[in-house]
Amino acid sequence: MIADPLLTHAAADYLFREAELLDGRRWEDWDALFAEDGMYWVPLRHDQQDPLNHASLFYEDAILRDVRRRRLEEKHAWSQQPVTRTARIVGNVRIVAQDGEGLRVRSAFQISEWRQGRDQRQLAGHYTHDLVGTAPGEWRIALKRVDLINCDGIQDCYEVFL
Amino acid sequence: MADDMLAALVRPDKVHKRVYTDPAIFDLEMERIFGQAWIYVGHASQVPKPGDYWTTLIGREPVVMVRDRDGAIRVLYNRCPHKGAKLVADGCGHAGPLFRCPYHAWTFALDGRLRGVPFRQGYADTGFSLDDPQFSMRPVARIAERRGFVFCSLAEDGPGLEEYLGGALASIDNFADRAPEGEVEVAGGVMRVMQHSNWKIFFENLNDTGHPQATHESSFAAARRTVREKLGGKTPFQLHIIEGNGEPNSFWESLELRCYDHGHSYMDAIFNAPTDAISLEYRGQLEAAYGVERAQAILSMNRHNTIIYPSCSPHTGFQQLRVIRPISIDRTLVEIFTFRLKGTSDAFFQRTISYTNIVNSPSSTVMVDDVEVYRRCQEGMASDGGDWISQHRMAGHDTPFEGGLLGAGISEVPMRNQFRAWASYMGEAVA
Ligand code: FES
Ligand SMILES: [Fe+2]
Repeated sequence: MIADPLLTHAAADYLFREAELLDGRRWEDWDALFAEDGMYWVPLRHDQQDPLNHASLFYEDAILRDVRRRRLEEKHAWSQQPVTRTARIVGNVRIVAQDGEGLRVRSAFQISEWRQGRDQRQLAGHYTHDLVGTAPGEWRIALKRVDLINCDGIQDCYEVFL
Repeated sequence: MADDMLAALVRPDKVHKRVYTDPAIFDLEMERIFGQAWIYVGHASQVPKPGDYWTTLIGREPVVMVRDRDGAIRVLYNRCPHKGAKLVADGCGHAGPLFRCPYHAWTFALDGRLRGVPFRQGYADTGFSLDDPQFSMRPVARIAERRGFVFCSLAEDGPGLEEYLGGALASIDNFADRAPEGEVEVAGGVMRVMQHSNWKIFFENLNDTGHPQATHESSFAAARRTVREKLGGKTPFQLHIIEGNGEPNSFWESLELRCYDHGHSYMDAIFNAPTDAISLEYRGQLEAAYGVERAQAILSMNRHNTIIYPSCSPHTGFQQLRVIRPISIDRTLVEIFTFRLKGTSDAFFQRTISYTNIVNSPSSTVMVDDVEVYRRCQEGMASDGGDWISQHRMAGHDTPFEGGLLGAGISEVPMRNQFRAWASYMGEAVA
């Protein structure tokens, strides 16, 4: 489908703003983008359909996201001494589905992740955002799905939201 | 390195840093420990049908576990006897009725025996023979299975699996007994985490009751804040398993640490038996299958991490198995498997998956601080700031029993017990 260019522009802008919040470690503001029962999901497998009966790298509701964001700012979060820094590029933004209640947006990302004393890590993959809300100003994330190209590979630890 | 020098690295209450930092010692460990001990390879449920295979490492040796046509499980070196190519790609898959080498198409029966070689005429009047075992895939020296858990030893001689496991055997039995049908199966995927530290550091951590309060402060403190500020003081299951690390000293002191010969041990469970609807339904299924008394006996064997030295650590209560693969002196691969108890509900399994995601995954808010301190140990050990690693906590207070040692909750006896095994493996002359 070819979506309305203005809507695509608004969706891209939404994703860029989200990226800025994450790269700025503004966890609370980022979390506020989610709908009340919104989920943040990083599958362990390509094409994984089921987050409940199969392990995931992240499958976090509002409660688990709340713990993670608080932990990242805890004084004695040893693995955040010093903190993780990220910069990401989001592109190829397309609206792939749309109905009266919301839309699905697909994009690709590159994240550079770094901590002092550790190797810089390059992450890449695809985002799928299910946004609910009738107008751009009202969009909330019902599901943010992050498909890493190496989701089923050998991993170093993940700490910050991708 | 001379054996008496090796022995001098292990003292009753401390070990020399070289055991964690010297690549020559790592090489010897591969030969003397991983070349002798029973090593966990995989679970029978990973290869349900003839031809199904799963690859892994025994020490440095790439092996393939395969279901033969007669239903038996074989474990073979993943190496073609022609030019050495690995016969199957790493991971799991299906070989079909034969293994076929991707390089020159030699074929092998699922028990490793050579079946066919192209260009046969070229082998006339040479030293080659179809029946000579040097031209077949080599099986590992010994294989043994307990409740579907498959272990191998690369040494012809040594104690049998049950004798080797001693009191840790009960953890494996209990793992499967917890299923109403008495069987478990691998399900829900496998996670792989690379730790930037020596493999022994991970094993020492598994029963280290002195670390949770300090190491995991960030996650249990954050979980408690969430409980207070967002959940009105109620702790859901997901946060209970994070928050438990913050128990006070008296809690850890009250636990028991039971150690067995060959380096195995376990610590008492740290999470109480849950009484939510899912757990109660499960208890009912278990009682229906076994009777009330037996079900109670199965559930009351409530062990937190069991250490099966030097290859894996089951967590029976949440159906987890962590498999430890040393890669080099300062790299350790940990694979996390989740099991389904046959005869339980999806809801029960979904809680198992939650535990995997929250506690054992590479993105766990809990484990990330473990992995950080392991790495700091590895980096700090290499320094000239000292030569010895302390294991003094309650040293000299271990209570020996037939086949093992008992220690109080805060004792470092599991580490001392591991090094007792380490020294005896490493001290033995190479056969
Ligand atoms: S290397 Fe296997 S057939 Fe040649
Ligand atoms: Fe820990």
